[in-house]
Amino acid sequence: MKPIRRRVPWAFLARRVLYGVLAILAIAVINFFLLQLAPGDAAEALAGQAGTADPQYIAQLRAQFGLDQPLWHQLWAFIVRLATLDLGYSYVFNEQVSVLIFQRMPATLMLMGTALTIAVAGGIVLGVTAARFANRWPDRLISLGALLLYGTPPYWIGLMMILVFAVMLGWTPTSGMENVLAFNTGWDRVVDIAHHLILPAAAQSIFYLAIYIRLVRAGMLEILSLDFIRVARAKGISERRLSYRHALRNAVLPLVTIVGTNVGNFLGGAVLTETVFSWPGVGRLMFDAMFQRDLNLLLSILVLSSTFVIIANLVVDLLYAIINPTVELK
Amino acid sequence: MIPHPPSAAPVLEVDDLQIGVRKRPAMQILRSVSFKIHAGETLAIVGESGCGKSMTSLAIMGLLPDAVERRGGSVRFKGAELPITDNRAMRKVRAAQIGMVFQEPMAALDPLYPVGKQVLEVIEEHEDIPRAKAWARVIDLLARVDLPNPEVLAWSYPHKLSGGQLQRVVIAMALACNPEVLIADEPTTALDVTVQAQIMRLLKRLQRDTGVAIVLITHNLGLVAHTADRVMVMYAGYKAEEGQTRDLFLAPRHPYTQGLLDATPNPDRLAAGGGVLREIPGTVPSISDPMPGCRFAPRCPRAQEVCRASVPGPVFEGSHGYACFNPVPAARG
Amino acid sequence: MGTLKAFLSILLRDWMMGLGLLLLLGILFMAATATVFFPNPPETMIGPPLQWPGQYPGALLGTDGLGRDILSGLFYGARISLLVGFASVAVAMVFGVIVGALAGYYGGWVDMLLMRLTELFQTIPQFMLAIVVVAVLGASIQVIILSLAIVSWPAIARLVRGEFLVLREKQYVQGCIVVGMSDPRIIFLQILPNAMSGVTVMSTIMIATAILMESALSFLGFGDPNVMSWGSMIGLGKNNLRDAWYIMTIPGIALLVTALALNMVGDGLNDYLNPRLRSQRGSR
Repeated sequence: MKPIRRRVPWAFLARRVLYGVLAILAIAVINFFLLQLAPGDAAEALAGQAGTADPQYIAQLRAQFGLDQPLWHQLWAFIVRLATLDLGYSYVFNEQVSVLIFQRMPATLMLMGTALTIAVAGGIVLGVTAARFANRWPDRLISLGALLLYGTPPYWIGLMMILVFAVMLGWTPTSGMENVLAFNTGWDRVVDIAHHLILPAAAQSIFYLAIYIRLVRAGMLEILSLDFIRVARAKGISERRLSYRHALRNAVLPLVTIVGTNVGNFLGGAVLTETVFSWPGVGRLMFDAMFQRDLNLLLSILVLSSTFVIIANLVVDLLYAIINPTVELK
Repeated sequence: MIPHPPSAAPVLEVDDLQIGVRKRPAMQILRSVSFKIHAGETLAIVGESGCGKSMTSLAIMGLLPDAVERRGGSVRFKGAELPITDNRAMRKVRAAQIGMVFQEPMAALDPLYPVGKQVLEVIEEHEDIPRAKAWARVIDLLARVDLPNPEVLAWSYPHKLSGGQLQRVVIAMALACNPEVLIADEPTTALDVTVQAQIMRLLKRLQRDTGVAIVLITHNLGLVAHTADRVMVMYAGYKAEEGQTRDLFLAPRHPYTQGLLDATPNPDRLAAGGGVLREIPGTVPSISDPMPGCRFAPRCPRAQEVCRASVPGPVFEGSHGYACFNPVPAARG
Repeated sequence: MGTLKAFLSILLRDWMMGLGLLLLLGILFMAATATVFFPNPPETMIGPPLQWPGQYPGALLGTDGLGRDILSGLFYGARISLLVGFASVAVAMVFGVIVGALAGYYGGWVDMLLMRLTELFQTIPQFMLAIVVVAVLGASIQVIILSLAIVSWPAIARLVRGEFLVLREKQYVQGCIVVGMSDPRIIFLQILPNAMSGVTVMSTIMIATAILMESALSFLGFGDPNVMSWGSMIGLGKNNLRDAWYIMTIPGIALLVTALALNMVGDGLNDYLNPRLRSQRGSR
């Protein structure tokens, strides 16, 4: 009893990686020109941050950054620096931009991973339940809840959760990622971080939970009406097995695609969630960069986040092909 | 022609089955359907679409749609009544005692699992045997339905197989647990003509090997003539006529059966100067039409006053039965 | 007026859509009558700060940390939300429809190029892009509308392209081509009207999304500093999370109701405009 192995789609991978690189390049170029639109240039901004408007100092900075060179020259230098991950120095945070971003990445990934897991798991369980009890009270309850959650501003949910669970009930901390002053180590630290993670993860998952419930419910209803479900029923398969093994796996296919496209939105949402909960991730960094008007840092975050989205989309496409054998990756 | 002694108990018995639309008392899909089938026998159920033949098969399997309810009658398997309205209890009957083959093989299999796994699923659901043994039986089943290279084919996904191959897989699935009755609902309608004949030959051969009783639901009278031992003709939720295939084809008594035969291309009859095809005038009455008499009366060339006033009961002449007040004369010119 | 009658019958059957329309009318009413009920600008201090709803007779829903009337803020905020929501989606629709129509109608390399561009914009995290546009061009209502349009148009372009790909092959369109009708005429007068039902449904939902995004920008403090918006009210209110949580709760509910109303109308429109999809929402 041995299944036939599917071969690795090298041609597909090569094409997609090439396309990804080109896309990142294009986004970088868009960014570059966006920067040109900003009033004043980086030298003026930097001088402003240094607290001086001395024309000589500004001219010196211009030469240092090559801002006195022709535009296409600057663009080329920008791309070369991007390729070597040299994103410049942030005078606001006194740190290399790439170091700043990569330091903050783990916190954001943890938040996003947890939120996504909650949203997908909850969406599947609630969506399947709603479909199995279609137009009866469990379905009506779940569908109404999904509609409500879908219309709620996610950051506001975060605030309300802080109000209820942290301030009124005192179950969770109000903000931050860990209790730094406790100097926890090992397992204690993990528990502490998890304790801090619950609220922001739940808050960020809610909007997507609403989408996934609706998607899974609609998909399940459609699949459950198909012929092969009736055939499976005629085989004596239990309703539960029918729902989860046959209907769900088919209904989850569109969900996989949507989750893939949502990864980018998750990152955008992280700006809000991390600000509300003072979560030390990339989103919070972006807020700070915006607040301090550190445009270079802001745009670097945007380019790196887009890169992340491109990688995530590729992973999703591969995953999709694995669970759906009718897809040929070309 | 009939391989069972007339005294033997039938393996499946449907008695005065009535089915209607839930919460719509006027909508009656099956008004009264009764038939028996014995081991090793093929019974064809024929009629126009909407006559209730598919609903009959779904009822036997306990697969009636939610919107539909049983209003009376019973289904007995080897003398014991089947709990056809109890989905959970019927799970033990499906595939294990009564298997089913559907019309649309292209849509009958889950696109995400290899076909072998889907046959395996039937065995694992009903029998508690080691996986390796069950898998060996899957391969054997695929070989028995004449699929080439079963070890490899078992791992193919449905979208890689042709309609005829898929229907063979569905047949293997239906017979995986050696049921005693096989319901085949239009098993060849969606297939090419050459493949149709192959599938029917396969079904007949499997029947000879296993002694399974086959209920063949179809509107294709040519198919019936070649494969069925007995025929039951349904019209608008009623059994119109029932008899040995030969008797019924050569000497139909119900005007509707005769109408059906006249509307079917038949080389023999043409050669004998039987003339061109004749269609039955009018249309099938709505399932909610409360007409008091025979439901065929409005379209019937032989209808009389009594036909429009009351419902004809079944009349039997030996094994040949019909529900008609004014049947076609037995001796046909 | 057969369509109007059909529409009204849907409205009667689908109470959710009726309720959504009613709520939407209520919010429109708030936006229209803000200056009538509250002649003073919403930034005016009308009484003592931190008055809970019902506590101070001059402010039904209480006052915020600076003694400003929250109800007045709600009325004026409705203007900003609706203005930004409708205007940004309108801009996105013009651009998205043109891109999608050209890509779907001409196909080939035009389609390739435009769709690659669309995908590119969908790769950049929406909200982040909006923030960056505001950062670069400065925070004003016009810039916010533009930034939300920039992040919204790709979805419309893809939808329109999909519709055009299908409709282009239809007999009547082929007929127009054969009789030598000009491309713009075919695109805008023959195909587009038939592609609009999906766009209408999608834009309704997108107005809700745009309103939520505007409120998020204002909440973070990146909105137009010269106007009172529900998002900025929440942003200010969060400073009084412990002692006066009503300040951030009330505008949040206003946002929820607005987004909900638009979604309910969108769902209803979907049922009305695409009746064949209706079964998906019903039982099996």
